[in-house]
Amino acid sequence: MAQSKLDLLQGTLDLMVLRTLSALGPLHGYGIARRIEQVSGDEVLLNQGTIYASLVRLQQRGWISADWGVSNNNRRAKYYSLTKKGAKQLVAGTENWDRITAMMGRVLTMENGGGEE
Amino acid sequence: MTTWLRVIASRLRAVVTRQRLDHEFDDELRDHLESLTEAYQAAGMSHAEARRAAVLKLGHPQQLREANRDHRGMPLLEAVAQDLGFAFRTLRKSRGFTVVAVLTMALGIGLCSFLFSFMNGFVLRAAPGMRDPSRLVALQAPVTYQYFESYRDRSRIASATAAFIGPAPFSVAVEGAGAAPERIFGHLVSPEYFSTLGVTPVLGRFFDPDSDPLGGAAVVVVSERFWRMRLNADAHAAGRTLRVNGRRATIVGVAQKDFLGVLPATAADLFVPVTANAAVAPELAGGVLHNTASSIFKVLLRLAPKVTMAAAEAALDAQTRQLDRQNGKRNPDRDKQGRVVRLVMAGGIVPTTPELRAFVVAGWGLIITLILSFTCANLAGLILARGSARGREIAIRLSVGASRSRLMRQLLMESVVLAIAGGAAGLAGAYGILNRPIPGLHVSAFPSGLVVTPDLRVALITLCISALAGAGFGLMPALASTRPDLVTSLKEISPASGIRYRRFGLRNLFMAYQMAAAMLLVLMMGFAIIGIERGANRSGPGFDTTGVYLFSVDPMRDGYSPGDSAALLADLPERLARVSGVDGATLAEPNAFSFMPPQLSAVSVQANPGDKETVHHVSLQKIGPGFFAALGLHVVRGVESGFRDLRSDSDTSAMLPVVINQSAAQQLFGSGDPLGRLIRQGDQIFLVAGVAQYEKSAVFQRASVPAVFLTFTMKDLQHGGPLVVVRVRKGVGFAPLRSEVKAIDSRLTMFDVQTMEKYLAQFNEALKYPTSIYGAVGMFALILACVGLAGVTAQAVVRRRKEIGIRMALGARRPQVLRLVMKEAAAMVLVGSVLGIAGAVVLVRLLIWASASFGALNPESMEPAQVVGPPLLLIAVAVIACYLPARRSSTIDPVSALREE
Repeated sequence: MAQSKLDLLQGTLDLMVLRTLSALGPLHGYGIARRIEQVSGDEVLLNQGTIYASLVRLQQRGWISADWGVSNNNRRAKYYSLTKKGAKQLVAGTENWDRITAMMGRVLTMENGGGEE
Repeated sequence: MTTWLRVIASRLRAVVTRQRLDHEFDDELRDHLESLTEAYQAAGMSHAEARRAAVLKLGHPQQLREANRDHRGMPLLEAVAQDLGFAFRTLRKSRGFTVVAVLTMALGIGLCSFLFSFMNGFVLRAAPGMRDPSRLVALQAPVTYQYFESYRDRSRIASATAAFIGPAPFSVAVEGAGAAPERIFGHLVSPEYFSTLGVTPVLGRFFDPDSDPLGGAAVVVVSERFWRMRLNADAHAAGRTLRVNGRRATIVGVAQKDFLGVLPATAADLFVPVTANAAVAPELAGGVLHNTASSIFKVLLRLAPKVTMAAAEAALDAQTRQLDRQNGKRNPDRDKQGRVVRLVMAGGIVPTTPELRAFVVAGWGLIITLILSFTCANLAGLILARGSARGREIAIRLSVGASRSRLMRQLLMESVVLAIAGGAAGLAGAYGILNRPIPGLHVSAFPSGLVVTPDLRVALITLCISALAGAGFGLMPALASTRPDLVTSLKEISPASGIRYRRFGLRNLFMAYQMAAAMLLVLMMGFAIIGIERGANRSGPGFDTTGVYLFSVDPMRDGYSPGDSAALLADLPERLARVSGVDGATLAEPNAFSFMPPQLSAVSVQANPGDKETVHHVSLQKIGPGFFAALGLHVVRGVESGFRDLRSDSDTSAMLPVVINQSAAQQLFGSGDPLGRLIRQGDQIFLVAGVAQYEKSAVFQRASVPAVFLTFTMKDLQHGGPLVVVRVRKGVGFAPLRSEVKAIDSRLTMFDVQTMEKYLAQFNEALKYPTSIYGAVGMFALILACVGLAGVTAQAVVRRRKEIGIRMALGARRPQVLRLVMKEAAAMVLVGSVLGIAGAVVLVRLLIWASASFGALNPESMEPAQVVGPPLLLIAVAVIACYLPARRSSTIDPVSALREE
C-alpha cells in the first residue's frame, strides 16, 4: 500500500471535486474518484470511498447536485453536477488556493542570512 | 452566510429520510464496486481477485456506510435518540427499580414544586395585567392627598405617581338585571392610577380630571372579568349603569384583561375615582381630598429609569420631612433607621420589601435544595446499587469495544429519563393538590389574585431541575460503574463484585448524607409545627359557641348616610335581641375572633392612687353593648354597658367606661380594686366599670393577654360595618334573624352569614394546612431515609458476601456477623444524625434571628421534647431499616459463598 498519502488541507479535496465536475461535466462517484486519482497520481485518496464524504459535504452546501441516471454499462448510478453556486465557489476557492501557494512559495524560498540586525 | 442554515436543514432532512438515503447509498456503493471490479477484470484479473482488489480500493462498505450516515445526518442527535430508546427498554425490563425510583423522584420533585408554587404565588409572581410591574413601588404608610400631590408634582424619582384607597367593599348590582346586589371589592383611585400601572382599557376610557370633576356624575370602571361575568361581555357596556352602594353610577370603561388592581391579593373589580361623591364611597366622606388629617391614601410610584428603590426612598423621606415641618406635624413613626418613609415593592401580589423577599427566597430555597439533594442522594444510591449489579454487563460491553463516553451517556440518559418521568409525576401531583381551593383563602365569585396553582414558570423550572437532578444523581454512579476492573468483573460469578469494598466509599457517604438531611428536615419541620401550635390554642375561644351566629351588615353600602348608618347599627342588637328565640345580640370588631395575635397599645395607669404613672401594653378592643352577656361570659365585678349607654354617648365625654379582663386587672392594678380606676391612652381617659372573665382576647391565643374593652361610640359606627353576634336558642336557626333584618329595611344586605363554629373551624383549617405540609415534608424525609438506608445496607451485605462467608467458615457465628454489618450502618446513622442536629441548631438560630427582624413567625427556641423526640424516632426507624436487610447476612451459606470464587 502507498504509505504516505499527501496530508491535505481541509477543503482541498472539495475543491478538486468541484474542479473535476467543472472540467468533465456530470459524473458519478466512481468517475470522480478515478479521475482525481489519474490526475493526482494516486496521491490523494486513502481509498476511493473517501470521496463520498466530500460529495455529501458539497451537496449539503448546495455546491453540487445529484440526479439518478443510467451509467454506460446500464446500471442505475447517481450523477453529480456542478451548481451555479458551486461554480462561483470554484472560482473563489481557486483564487484563494493561488494566494496561499504563492504566499507559501515566497516564505519557503526565502534566502538565508538576510535578517535585520 | 446562510450556508450553515442550509447545511443544518439538509442534515435534518437526512435524519428524516434516513432509510431511503441508506438504500441509495448502498446502490451507489454497489455500482462503484462493480465498476471497479470490471476495471480490474479488464486489466486481466480473475473475478475473485478483481473483487477483492476492488473492496480494498474502495474501503470497507460497512465503514463507509457509517461514515456516510455521520456526515449527512446529525450523528449526536441520532445517538441520543438511540440512547433514549435504549434507556426506555432497560427501564422497562427492571420494573421494580423503575417504579421505586420514579416514585422517589415524584415525591421529592412534587414536594419541591409544591413549595416553589407557594413561593411563586406569594412573592415571585407579578401582578397580572400591568406594564413592567417590577418598577412599581408603594409607600408603606398611607398619607393625605396633599402629600400625594406633592410627591406627584415635585418629585423627580418617579415617572408616574398615583394614589388609591382600598381594597374597599362595594355593594354592586347591574341596573335592570334584576339581580340582588353583591359585595365586591374595589379601589378608589386618583386619575393617574391606570396610566401609572400601565393598564389600557379594553372598552371605553379611564378617568381624567376634566371629564370627572370633583362631585361630578358618578362614574366607574369595572374589571374585565366583571364585564364578562356580570355584563355578558356587552360591547356597549360603556354607558350602562350600575347601582354602587345604592347609588346610580355610569360605567365609562372596562380595564385590561386579567387586571385585578394593584396588589391583587384582594382583587379589585370596581374602580371609582376619588373625586366621586361620598354617597357612592363612604371612605370619601368629609372632604378627604382637602382634609389635612385624612392619611388614608396609598401612594403608588413608577420609578423613573435608573432610579433605585433605595434612592427613591431617601428622596421621598427627605421630601416627607419637609412636608411634615411645613405642616407642623411631628411624625413619631420613625423606624429603626430613622426613616419616616418606607417603600415596598408593589408589582407583586402582596407588598413585599426586598429584604423580606430575599429572606423568603433564601429560606424556602434552602428547604427546596435540601429536599432535592436528599432525593438525589437517595436515587444515586439506588442507581449505584443497580450499577454494580450490572457490573458484568457493563464490563462485557466495555471489553467488546463500547466507548466509556457512550456507556456513560447511556447510563446518564437512563437517570435523566427517570428524573423527568418522576418530575412530571410530581408536578402533576402538586398541580392536583394546589388546583383545589386552599383553606383560609377567601372563596367567592370574584376570587383573589393570589394564585398558587403551578404556572408555566413553575412547570418549566421543575422539569429543568428534574433533568439536571437526573444528570446530577446519575453522574457519580455512571462514573463509578464504567470504571470497573474488567478482569475481576468478568471472572467472578457473584453478581456484584466490580468494585472493591470500601468502608468510606461513595455509598457510605450517601448514607451519612441521607441521614443528616433527614434529621435536619425532621427537626426543622418539627420546629415549624411547634411554632404554629404554640401560636394556636385548640381549646377554643373561651366561651360556649353553640347557637352563636355571626353576620355583617354595612348600611352605608346600601345607601345610608353615615349618621343613619350609625343609628341603625346602634339599634340593631336590641331589635335582634327582642326576636323570640334569641338569647342575646351584640356588635364586635370585624376581626374580634380572628386568630391573629392582637396588636398591643401603650396605656398608662397609676398603680395606686397618687403614684407615678406606669406604662403597660394592652389589647384595646371595641365591643357592642351587652357583649359579655351575649357570649355567656361573666362580668365578675362591676357591670358592662347596656344598649342605652351607646345611644346616649356623646363624643365630648372625656371618660369612657371600659371593661377590663382579669389579666389586665392583675397587671395594671395588682391586688388593688380596679373598679373606678382610670386608664389613660394619650388624651383619652377610660374609667374601669367592670372586670370580665375573658382572657382570650384573640381566639387561639394561648397566653392570656391583658385587654381593655371599649364600647363602640356613635362615631365609631359611622366608619363601616362591624360584626353582628347573635346567640339563639337550640333549634331556632337563622331564619328569624334574616326576616327581622329584612323587616328593618329590605335594602340591607346581610353578608358573611355563618355560625361561630364554622367561622372558627376555618381558622383551624388554615392552621392545619401548613402543619400538614410541614408534617408531610417530615414524613417524606423519614420514609426516604429509611428506603435509602435499607437499600445501601442490603447492598453492603451482598458485596461483603464472600468476606462474611470466609468469616463464617473460620468460625464466626451469626450474631457476630450481624454485628459486623450493623456496626457500620449504625456508625453512618450516628455520624449523619450528629451532622443533621448540628445543622438544624444553626438553621433554627438563623430562623429565629431572621424572624425577629421581620416579625414573620413567633418561634423562640427549640423545645427539649423536640430535640430529643424526633431524632430518637428517626434513629430507631433508621436502625430498623438497616437491621432488616442486615439480617440477610446471617443467612449466607459459607459453602456456596466461597464456591463462587
